[in-house]
Formats: sequence, structure tokens, C-alpha cells
Amino acid sequence: MSTMPLYEEAAGRRRAPLRRLVSGLEPYLYIAPSVVLIAVIMLVPLTIGLSYAFRDMQLINPFSGGFVGLEHFRTLWTDAAFWLSMRNTLVWTLASVVLQFAFGLVLALLLNNSFPGRGVIQALVFLPWAVPTFLSGLNWAWLFNPVVGPLPHWMAALGILPAPENILSDPHLAIWGPIVANVWWGIPFFAITLLAALQSIPQDIYEAAAIDGAGAWRRFIDITLPFLAPTIAITVMLRTIWIANFADLIIVMTNGGPADQTQIVSSYIFTQAFRRLDFGYASAIAMVLLGLLLAYSFVIILMRQSLLRR
Amino acid sequence: MASIDIQGVGKSYGAVPVLHEVDLSIQDGEFVVLVGPSGCGKSTLLRMIAGLEGITRGDIRIAGRVVNELAPKDRDIAMVFQSYALYPHMTVRDNMSYSLKLRGTPSERMAQVVNAAAAKLGLESFLDRKPRTLSGGQRQRVAMGRSIVRKPKAFLFDEPLSNLDARLREQMRVEIKKLHRELGTTSIYVTHDQVEAMTLADRIVAMNAGAVQQVGTPLDLYERPTNLFVASFIGSPAINVLDGTLHGDGERRFVALGSGETMPVSDRIQGRDGQAVRVGVRPEDVQVSTRGEGDHTGQIELVEPMGLGTILHIRTVSSALKAFVLERAHYQIGTDVAFSLPAPKLHIFDAQTGQRLPDQAVSP
Ligand SMILES: Nc1ncnc2c1ncn2[C@@H]1O[C@H](COP(=O)(O)OP(=O)(O)OP(=O)(O)O)[C@@H](O)[C@H]1O
Ligand SMILES: [Mg+2]
Repeated sequence: MSTMPLYEEAAGRRRAPLRRLVSGLEPYLYIAPSVVLIAVIMLVPLTIGLSYAFRDMQLINPFSGGFVGLEHFRTLWTDAAFWLSMRNTLVWTLASVVLQFAFGLVLALLLNNSFPGRGVIQALVFLPWAVPTFLSGLNWAWLFNPVVGPLPHWMAALGILPAPENILSDPHLAIWGPIVANVWWGIPFFAITLLAALQSIPQDIYEAAAIDGAGAWRRFIDITLPFLAPTIAITVMLRTIWIANFADLIIVMTNGGPADQTQIVSSYIFTQAFRRLDFGYASAIAMVLLGLLLAYSFVIILMRQSLLRR
Repeated sequence: MASIDIQGVGKSYGAVPVLHEVDLSIQDGEFVVLVGPSGCGKSTLLRMIAGLEGITRGDIRIAGRVVNELAPKDRDIAMVFQSYALYPHMTVRDNMSYSLKLRGTPSERMAQVVNAAAAKLGLESFLDRKPRTLSGGQRQRVAMGRSIVRKPKAFLFDEPLSNLDARLREQMRVEIKKLHRELGTTSIYVTHDQVEAMTLADRIVAMNAGAVQQVGTPLDLYERPTNLFVASFIGSPAINVLDGTLHGDGERRFVALGSGETMPVSDRIQGRDGQAVRVGVRPEDVQVSTRGEGDHTGQIELVEPMGLGTILHIRTVSSALKAFVLERAHYQIGTDVAFSLPAPKLHIFDAQTGQRLPDQAVSP
């Protein structure tokens, strides 16, 4: 600006509002490419998908597609199968996350000590993560099958089951089949992330605490946990959302059955959309699930922030 | 407060020996400084006393009790780490009171003790801050405060000042010394800075390659170094070392240097005629004269003014040596000077073993 010749001053003044506009827009122009990309790739399909929730979309009915307003949501409100799937989602998510986290933490603490053969064990521990979910679902389905798998016989021998039967066909127990498979499959995630966090804790802080008079348990409570807290918060939040949406194992192992007893919301959406081909209704359920998970993430992020600020 | 006894202590990592046969007795209330070059095992010894490293051989006693198998928390000692190792998620107050809290001290008593320590260290206004918001010097004080609040049997310091700038180091050095005089707690202090060692210590333990070289008061080590290592490690600017041969023809004893020059040495030095020796002479003991009064001559090669005095680098026919002079005379590079090396100030070491040659005064 300072190099502008004097005789152009008038012209410069006339262009000033335009210049101000351009310089005001400048930052937005820089982020425009990513905004456009996000909009095209994520927001557009999302909006179209959500719009189905208010329309009558049935693949087998070529005359469907009309706007039905809140009709789907009214149906949903009285749909017993939906409410059952909500309850199942809660059990499925809570049990899976808690067990995965607990075993993952124990494993990470064990792997954080050095012992001979640690490298090999570490690699083995992370193996389940590399197994495709469908394969592990099939595997576990066979393990629970009394004809080919050992688990029912072992559980019967231990007195957990009255007889060596397939728990996947027991309406009350079936949900625990996919939960066990999910825990087995998901432990490595917690083990990896928590181990990484553990290894970032400076050793001399433990030494200082030991000299200050803290035994192993106090060191865990006063040093390890506070250092792990942010990682725990973020991983638990991520896993909760993934697991709540994670229908693969259920579809493979029980297909939501017997009699919709193991249906979680996302598998119910899958069933509505791809088995009953009712995309409109499926979208309405998906929209409810989205709202719930958004609310959940929001709460967790607030909690994490207040934790970090402390 | 307590005495610390180290008897025949050794340490190996696998097959690699790091400490050999360390014997050391530290009296109640004594301030002992472990000094030595990097990697000589000072920290390892300190950490063994603290209980952070296992003991391969020998015994360590604190207040007469063998502590080899005792966990750090049961040894009742405090340690200040080089990295300070403050708890980053706790406030300064919590950092300082953590050890008291673990011992179940009532909270009024705890607040009282922490406030007193904070006042002593000038930390009152930082008590509610997190360590990451403090400067290096302030963190160092917190680390000290954390160790003084519980009146331990002994303080262990592992290079506590090495992350501070020269000015602050000097200041903290004085504060540590004052603190020790006030509290009188047995202290072991590790450093590789020989000025810190000289100024703080009641006794210095000079270590090299995992073995104790000499134990004694700072002046002992400075004036009667037991071997070449101690002689060259203690003192700044470093001692001059000249190669020569010891001769004795009847009454007179002298050292012949490679160039053929000779210098008289004290008659009391015990040694064979023709023994290869190394002669140590401290820079401040080299007597330089610009008027040609001296037994040796050389040329000034470099001048380093230090404020307090001047370091002259003198090149002679066969060797180079440093002289530290106090007078402000204006020495020109390239001028010829004469200097003499007074016999009583020479340290004579065996060239092979590096050990100081015994002198008669000691053996009657
Ligand atoms: N865990 C370990 N495994 C193998 N060798 C080790 C281990 N810890 C230390 N050492 C070796 O022991 C020797 C002494 O180490 P130490 O830390 O005691 O040195 P230091 O005297 O404190 O040195 P500095 O002044 O650099 O701190 C070093 O040679 C080091 O390589
Ligand atoms: Mg060290």
C-alpha cells in the first residue's frame, strides 16, 4: 500500500470498498477447497440420506418416493422391535466397551514391563485387530456351535451352562456371543493406544514417587491414571461410537435373531434397509441414532476439555 | 539424619561392569560430593543408594541398617533429580506435600510444613501453579522443597543444577550450602562440575571408570592429588603435565625433561634413578617473569584474560604449558618470557601407573 503512487489516490479510494470485501473474503477463499470437498463428499450424501427419513422410500415399490412428513417417526415411536434394539444397543455397547477397556488396560500394563520375548507377545496380542471382522464373527459362531466348537462343552463342564447348547440360539444369552467376539477383536485397540500413552510417561516421575513413599498401587492411582486420563477419554468415546454402530459381528453371528432378540439399532437399520428394502424407515431410525451419538460425543468432549483444563 | 556406609559395592549390567568395589563411609550430617567424568558411574551409585537400581555386590547401610533389599519408599531418603521429575499434573503445593500425604500427615500440619518450606525457598507465590508454568530455576526450587518437607535421613542430589544458567547455578549453589548448614542433613551430591564439588563439599569423592580414585577434603584433592586423573580432573584451568625422567645424583634430585632441560624437585620424593615420571604443575604455580628471571624460557602463544587474572599459554622448546597470573601486566603474543617451576609445588607421578610418588614426609 505504501508504494502506491500519489496520483492514483482517487482511484484507490473508489476501489476501497471492493478491496475491503476481497481482503475480508480472503481467508474463506483459502479454506474453500476443503470446505467444498467436505460438502460434496460428506454433507451432500448425508443430507440426501436424511431427507429419505421424511419420504416414503421403498425399493420394491416404484410408485413410492412421496413426502410423508413425520410418519416414519410416529411408527418408530410405537415399534417394539426398535425399542428392544435400543436396549440391546445399550447392553452391547456398554459391555463391549467396558470389557475391551479393562482387558486392554491390563494388557497394556503387562506389556509395559520388559520381559524376555516381549516383542513376540506384543505382535501376537495385536493379531485379532488384523483379522477381518467377518472372519472373526464366523470363527466365533463356530466356536459357540456345539457340533464343531469346544466352547459350549467347556462352559457346560464349568457349570456356566446347564447343557452344551449354542448360546447364539438362546434368546436371553444370544447377545453375549457377539459381545465376546467383539471384546476379543477390540482389545488390541485399547492395548495399543494405552501402551503408547503409558510409554510416554517419563520414568523419573515414577522414581520420584517411589522415593516420596508411593507403593505400586499409589503410583498407579496418582501418576499412571492422571497421565492416561485424556487418552482414556478419547479412546472410550471413539470406541463407544464405533461399537454402537458396529453391526458386522451381529449380522454374521446371529443376524439379529433369534426373533430380533439381538438386534441393535444399527443392525436394525441394516435389516430395514437391505432386507425389507424400506429405505425411508431405515433413514428415520438412522437419524435418531445419529442424534443420540452426536449428543453423546458432545457430552464427552465437554468432559474431556474440563479434564484437560484441570 | 543418618550415616551411610557403602562396603565393597559393585554393579554390573549383564556382563558389563559399571562399578567396582566402591567403599565409602559417609558420616551423619556430612556433605559429600561425587565427582567424575560423564559415564563413570556417579548416578548409578546414587541410584543404588536411593534403591532405584539393584546392588550386584556388597552392602549399603543407612543408619547402620543394610538396605540392599529395601524398596525406595522404605529407605526414607529424598532425591533431587537432574530433570527435577516434578509431577506435572499437580500444583506446586501438591508436589511438595505428596510425600506427607502418603504418610498420612494431618492437613493442618501439612499446610504448615509446606508453607514454611515455600517461604524458605521463595516459592510462596507459586504454590497454586503447575510446574509447567515455572521457570527452570523455580522448578529446581520446587524439587528441593519437595525433598526438605519430610526431614529425610539423607538428601541425594543428581546434578541438580546442570540445567540452569551459570549465574543461577552460582546462586543455587550458595542456597544449597546454606540449606545444608541449617538442616544439617547428610547429603550426597553428584556433579561433574568441579567448581560445585570444591565449593559445596565437606569431602569429595573423585571417581573414574567405576572406581573411587580419591576421597578427601577439597583442598586435599587439590593440593595432594593421589594420581594423575584426580590432578587433571580437579582445578580450572587444568593442571600442566610434563613428561620427564627422575634423576638423583647424591644430594640433589631433579627431573630431566625431553628437551634436556632439568628442574629440581623436592628431596623427599621417593623414586628410582631413571624412573619415567610425569610432572604436574598447576597454572597458578608457574612463576612467570617478563624480566628474564627464571630457569626456563618460552614464548607466549596465547593470552586469555579472565578478569580475575590472565591465562598465558607458553610454548617452550619441548612442550606447551599454561600459567595463571594475577598481575595485570600487558603480555604480548610472541614475546619471550622466563618462568620457573618451584620444586615444592610440583606433583610427581609415575608415568606408567599414574600414581603419585610417595614423599618422605609421610613415612617417618
Ligand atoms: N540400564 C543400563 N544398562 C547398561 N548400562 C548402563 C545402564 N545404565 C547406565 N549404564 C552405564 O553405566 C555407566 C555409568 O552410568 P552413570 O549414569 O552412572 O554415569 P554418570 O557418572 O552419572 O554420568 P553423567 O555425568 O553423564 O550423568 C555408563 O557407562 C552407562 O553407559
Ligand atoms: Mg549421571
